[in-house]
Amino acid sequence: MRIRLLVTAATLAALVITACGGGTAAPSASAGASATAAGPLPDVKIGLATSKSGAANFYNPQQTQGAQLAVDQFNATGGFQGGRQKIQLIVEDDGSVRDQGITVFKKFIEQDKVTVILGPTLSAVAAGAHPVAQAAGVPVIAISNTGLGIVGKCDYGPCDWIFRASLGEQSAVPETVKAATSKLGLKKVVIIYGDGKFELDDLAIFRDAFKANGVTVAKEIPYRATDVDFAPFVTAAKAENPDAIVASSLAGPAGKILDEVAKQLPAKRVIGGNGLNSSALLPNANAGLMIVGTAWSKASTDKANQDFIAAYKAKYNADPDQFAAQSYTAMLVLIEAMKKTTRMSDKEQVKKALESVSLSATPLGAFSFTPEHDVKQPTFVMTVKDKQFVPFQ
Amino acid sequence: MDAIADFLATYSTTFAIVGINALLALSVWLTLYAGQLTLGNAAFMAIGAYTSALLGRHLGAPFPLALAAGAVAAAALAAPLGLTVFRLRGVYLAIATLAFGEVVRVILLATPITGRGQGLNGIPPKTELWHIYLSLAVVAYVLWRVQGSIAGRAWAAIREDEVAAASQGIAVRRYKLAAFVLGALLAAWAGGLSAHVTFSIDPNDFAFTKAVQILVFAVVGGIPNVLGPVLGATVFTALPELLRPFKDYRDIFQGAILLAVIIYLPRGIVTLAELRKTRRLAEIGAADVA
Amino acid sequence: MFEQLYNAIFIGSIYALFAVGFALVFSVLDILNLAHPTVFMLGAFAALFAIATLGLPWWLAVPIAFVATGLFGILLDRIAFAPLRRRGAPPLSAMISSLAVTLAVVRVVELRYGGDFITFPAGTVPSFLIHVGGATLEGVRLAIIGLSIALMLVLTYLVRGTALGREIRALAENPRAARILGIDVERAIAATFFISSGLGGLAGVLLAFAYNSLDSRMGLPLELRAFTVMVVGGMGSLPGAVIGAYLLGLGEVASLVYLPAELRDAFAFGLLFLVLIARPQGLLGQRPADRI
Repeated sequence: MRIRLLVTAATLAALVITACGGGTAAPSASAGASATAAGPLPDVKIGLATSKSGAANFYNPQQTQGAQLAVDQFNATGGFQGGRQKIQLIVEDDGSVRDQGITVFKKFIEQDKVTVILGPTLSAVAAGAHPVAQAAGVPVIAISNTGLGIVGKCDYGPCDWIFRASLGEQSAVPETVKAATSKLGLKKVVIIYGDGKFELDDLAIFRDAFKANGVTVAKEIPYRATDVDFAPFVTAAKAENPDAIVASSLAGPAGKILDEVAKQLPAKRVIGGNGLNSSALLPNANAGLMIVGTAWSKASTDKANQDFIAAYKAKYNADPDQFAAQSYTAMLVLIEAMKKTTRMSDKEQVKKALESVSLSATPLGAFSFTPEHDVKQPTFVMTVKDKQFVPFQ
Repeated sequence: MDAIADFLATYSTTFAIVGINALLALSVWLTLYAGQLTLGNAAFMAIGAYTSALLGRHLGAPFPLALAAGAVAAAALAAPLGLTVFRLRGVYLAIATLAFGEVVRVILLATPITGRGQGLNGIPPKTELWHIYLSLAVVAYVLWRVQGSIAGRAWAAIREDEVAAASQGIAVRRYKLAAFVLGALLAAWAGGLSAHVTFSIDPNDFAFTKAVQILVFAVVGGIPNVLGPVLGATVFTALPELLRPFKDYRDIFQGAILLAVIIYLPRGIVTLAELRKTRRLAEIGAADVA
Repeated sequence: MFEQLYNAIFIGSIYALFAVGFALVFSVLDILNLAHPTVFMLGAFAALFAIATLGLPWWLAVPIAFVATGLFGILLDRIAFAPLRRRGAPPLSAMISSLAVTLAVVRVVELRYGGDFITFPAGTVPSFLIHVGGATLEGVRLAIIGLSIALMLVLTYLVRGTALGREIRALAENPRAARILGIDVERAIAATFFISSGLGGLAGVLLAFAYNSLDSRMGLPLELRAFTVMVVGGMGSLPGAVIGAYLLGLGEVASLVYLPAELRDAFAFGLLFLVLIARPQGLLGQRPADRI
C-alpha cells in the first residue's frame, strides 16, 4: 500500500514538474516554426552557472551582473539577424557544490536547450560539470576557473568543447614572479599555502616559476581551511629569513597573512596568485604589500575598459571587479563569435567561431583563444595603493 | 513525451544522489538502530570512493569488483575501529568516530596517490541509475527483514539497555560490532557509486559536514523503520532543487523546513502517517538513541 | 620560540572563550549546540553593526556584542531547543535543530553583508604595537589574552559562588531534582544560554578585531576544535575546557614547529581519538562511567 502511494506521489510530482518545464519549452518550438517570416526569431539561450549561495557566493552578484550587462547592451542594439533575434541569459545557482553544478548543467542542456554555457564559478564544481557539457557537445566558456586541467589536457579525456576566458594561473603567476624577482632582487622566499584545489595548483605553479627565475623556495608551509590564526605560520616563515612571502591562498587567509607579515616581517612583500585579487582585500591596511598578477586592471585607460566601468556603475550603482570584467568580456567574445555564424543556436558553428574569434578592444585588453582554447590576453602585475589596484612598478 | 525525457535527463544526477544518500542514511540507520551514534560514515564513504576509483584507474578493475573492494576495505578498517571504540556511547562515540573521520581526511589530503587536496578528477561515470536503485532495494529489503529477526531484536535490546541486554545473554559486543562493520560496508558501497556519478572527488566531499548531513537524513526521516532514512534522504536531497524558485532565500527556507520537521515530527517524517500511534512509539522509545 | 609560545597562548584564549560556552550548554543540557559557531559569527557582526551603523566606539561595541549574542542565545533556545524539551525529544534532535537555525541565520547575514569577508571601517579598531626585545607584540592580542583569562575567572566565580551558579549546577546534575527543589528551570536554562552565547559572541568580536576581518562562515573552523577541547578537558567540565583549549593551541603550534607539515592535523585528531579511548572522561571530567 505504502509503496503504491509513494509511486503515485512520485509520478504526480514528476508530472507537475514536467508540466512546468514544458511550459517554457513550448514557445520556442512554435516560434521556430514561424521563423521564415520577418517576425522576431526565438531567443538564443545562454546559461550561466554561478555560485550564488554556498562557500563561494562572494563572487556574486558581480559575476552575474557582468554577463547580464553585456547581454542587455547587445539586446538594446537589436540583436542578431537584423534585430530579429535577442539573447536570453538564464542564470542558475550551483550552491558551490559539485552535484548541484552537474544538475544545473544538465538543466541547461536538456531542459532549457541553451546554445552555450558560462561557468561554473569554482574549479572543483567545473571538474564535475564540464564533462557533462563535453559529452553533450555544448560549448562552455569558463569565466573564473584559473587552475590546472580546465582546458587543453583534461583528466576526463578530450575537452575540446571547453573554452576558458579567465586568465589561468599558468600564465599569470610566471609573469608576477618575473616582475617581482627583477624589481625586488629576490633570492629566497617562503610559500604559505592552503589545502584546497586552487591553492595546491597555485603552489605547483609558483614552485616552477621561482625555479625558472633562480629563486630558492626555502620552505613550504601548509595551513588548513580550518585555521583561524596565521601568526604561527608567518613566525615559522620568519625563521628562514626570506626576501618575500608567497601566499598561495584565497583572499580571506591572504588578508591575515598580509597583516602578520606587516607585523613580523616589516618591509617584506607578499606575492600572491589570483586569490589575492579581490576587492575585499582593498580596505586591508596592509594590502599595499601585495604583488599579484591579474587579468584585469581597473586603472587601464583603454576606452573599452573605461566604457565598461562607466556602464556597470550606471546600471548597478557599484564598482565592477575582475569577476564582472571577465564574465562581461566572455559574453562580448561569445556574441562576436555568434555574429560570425549563420545560425546562432548552432553549437557546432559557435564552437568553430569561438576558436577563431579575436577582439582587439575588451576590458581585459586584446582577447583571443589559444589552440588549446585557453585565453590569450595581457597579464597585469598589480599592487594596492590608496585602496585601489595599481600597476606594480 | 519529450518533456518527460528532458526532465529525467536533467535530474538524473539528482535522482542518483537521492539514491546514494538513501543508502548512506541506511548505513547510519543501521548503527543508530543498534544504539550507536556514529559520525564516521563519511570517512567510510571516502574509503569506498577512493578505493574503487583508484582500482579502476590504475588496475583497470571491473566496476562491480572495484565497488566491492572499496566496501571490503572499509569493513576491514571498521572492524578494529569498532573493537577499539566499543566502550564508548552517545556523544563520546560520535566524537571518536568523527576524529577517525578527520584522520582519514587528513591522510587523503597528504597522500600523493589520492591526489591530495586536488582530489581525483576525470573518474568515468560508470554508475547507472539502476545500479543505485537496485542496491537500495536490496539493502532496504534485507534491513527490513533483519529488523524482525533475532539480530534485529538483539540490536533493539542493546539500544534500549545494554546492561540488560547482556544479562539476557545477548552477545552485545558481537552484535554492536556487526552493526558498525555492516554500516561501514554500506557507506563505502554508496561512496563507490557516488564517485562514479560526479566525475571528481576530493577530501572535502567527505568532511564533518557530510557526516552530519548523513545523520540528518536518517534522524529526520525517522529511525523506527527502514522507510524513514530513505524518505529523509529523498526529501532533504531534493529540497535544494525544489526550493530553486526561492533563489537567494533557498537556505533560509531549507533551515525553516528542517526546524519545523524536527520539532513537530521529532521521531521522523516517517511517523507522519502514524501520528496516532505516536504514543506507542514513544513507549518503545523508538528514536531514543542518543 | 617565545613568539610561537605567545601565538599559542593567543589562539588558546580564543579557543577557550569559544569552547567554554559550548561546554557549558553541553554540561547543563547534554546538547551539542551546532549553532555555537553561528553565535560566534553573530558577535562579530553585532560589533560591526554597532560601529559602522550606529557609529559607536569599539569599547562600547564589545559589551553590546556580548549582550546581543547573549540574547540571541536565549532566542535560540526558545526557537530550537525549548520545543524539543517540551516534547521529550532525544538530544540528537537538538543537534539537528541547531543546524537548521545555523543554515538560515548564516544566509540572512550573507544577504545583508555579502558572503565575502569584510572589515571594520578604517580607524575604528584599536591597534598599537609593543616591542619586547626582538619581538613585536600587538596590543589588541595582549588585551584579548588578558580579557579571556579575566572572563574565565568571572565565569568560574559565577558558576561556583553565586545562587544562579548553584541553580545551573543543580540543573546539570539532575533536571528533575532541580525542579522538585523549586528551582526555576527555564530561568536557569535561559541564563545558561545567555552566558554561553555571550561568551561565544565575545570570542567572535575579539578574533574579528585581531585581524580586522569578519565573514559569515568565520565560526565553522572552530566547531571541530570545540569538540576536541571538550573531550580533552573532560566533557562538561569548564576548567577542563579552558585547559583543553590552551593545550590544543600549544599542540597545534608545537606540531607546526616540530612535525612534518602535512601530518599536523592527523596528530591533533589522532590525539583526540586516543584520549577518548584511554581516558574518555578527559583530564578533569568526573562523569560516572555509565554516562560515557
